[in-house]
Amino acid sequence: MNYPMNIIETNRLSRRYWRTEALRDLTLTVPTGSVFALLGANGAGKTTAIKVLMNLLPPSAGEARVLGVDSRRLGERERAQIGYVSENQKLPRWMTVRQLLDYCRPFYPTWDPALETKLLGQFDLPVDRKLKNLSRGMLMKAALLSTLAYRPKLLVLDEPFSGLDPLARDDFVRGVLEASELGDWTVLVSSHDIEEVERLADNIALLEAGRLKFSETTEALLGRFRRMEVTVSGATQLGAPAAGWLELEQKGGLVRFIATQYDRTTTEQACRQRFPESAVTAHPMTLREIFVTLARETRNQPQGAAA
Amino acid sequence: MLPFSLELKPGLPITEQVIFAVKKAVVGGQLTPGQPFPSVRVVSQELKINPNTAHKIVAALVAQGVLITTPAVGSVVAERAAGDRQERADLLGRDLEQVVVEAKKLGLTLAEVQSGLAVQWKKLGGKKS
Repeated sequence: MNYPMNIIETNRLSRRYWRTEALRDLTLTVPTGSVFALLGANGAGKTTAIKVLMNLLPPSAGEARVLGVDSRRLGERERAQIGYVSENQKLPRWMTVRQLLDYCRPFYPTWDPALETKLLGQFDLPVDRKLKNLSRGMLMKAALLSTLAYRPKLLVLDEPFSGLDPLARDDFVRGVLEASELGDWTVLVSSHDIEEVERLADNIALLEAGRLKFSETTEALLGRFRRMEVTVSGATQLGAPAAGWLELEQKGGLVRFIATQYDRTTTEQACRQRFPESAVTAHPMTLREIFVTLARETRNQPQGAAA
Repeated sequence: MLPFSLELKPGLPITEQVIFAVKKAVVGGQLTPGQPFPSVRVVSQELKINPNTAHKIVAALVAQGVLITTPAVGSVVAERAAGDRQERADLLGRDLEQVVVEAKKLGLTLAEVQSGLAVQWKKLGGKKS
């Protein structure tokens, strides 16, 4: 089966709860084959966005297409190809792990018994224990297992790592990759902690107070941010920051700023133009540093300014 | 376990870093011609990256002649993977650039850097000058 180029597409998707706008004008594309991280602080709208995409909530305005189908018309055929694991998932807690798997299996024509067995061993799950008696990490792994076993084409994980210890987290990621396939296999994962998904994600979107701050590939994002250090000689006029320069400051002979549109040639040229006879170095920044910079920038913006 | 050493630095694209590490491992002899290279799945699981990204890495290494793919066997390190002198020299480019930047910050001349380099070279018992 062929999937659309973008497994998820939203157009000005909005959702309000009474007067609170949880999601506002979200226009987003998740390319098929990507591992797409939806990031944002708690309350930024990640879970709302995912619930609307999964048709667990209707949008107040705008629309979304998932697997090429309007999210409000997601049917059994689509659901059989979507895996959804959420932090707040309702599971039949009176079932044992084995009963849960026996219960899920008949629903999915693509259920892979070999993968089920492999993951059971890998996750070290007690099959005869009831779900209500499992630790949080075990419970998340059981939920993931019952999802991965049918090899969904689209895997949606809502805050899967919160409250997991490092070992359970590692098991979880390994399991996801174990079930992965080349080509049109897609993961949408939400998290409030960038470090959890830093390596896994090749696409990153950031939500802030219900609005999309940016959405781009990890490579492009890492490529355009640099912490610039310019060693200047003699008295230098710092001047106003050029376009795309943040946090410009000077201490003695050292000028520092963050380039948000870094390009080797143009950024270094701009530095030399402003500070002649200087040595310029560009240091890569981690995603965490980039996010902190952006959050600080938002906070410093005057009220009402365009984002 | 991956058969080459890799020290991932945060902030740089993972694709670039892995390709660079593999080339260095080949030049340094950690990877020898004919040696099997891990599959896309293994690379993806070991590094915890999207299999499509791992696939891109392997494809790039094949395109650059570092690996060759044989049906059924998978990828192996190519005969001439170590590249010619120019390609090897290019691997050092980044580090050299960093040294030059630091030297300029310190206000050193090219001659001073060169003599410093020669001293280090001799310390490690290098024969060729």
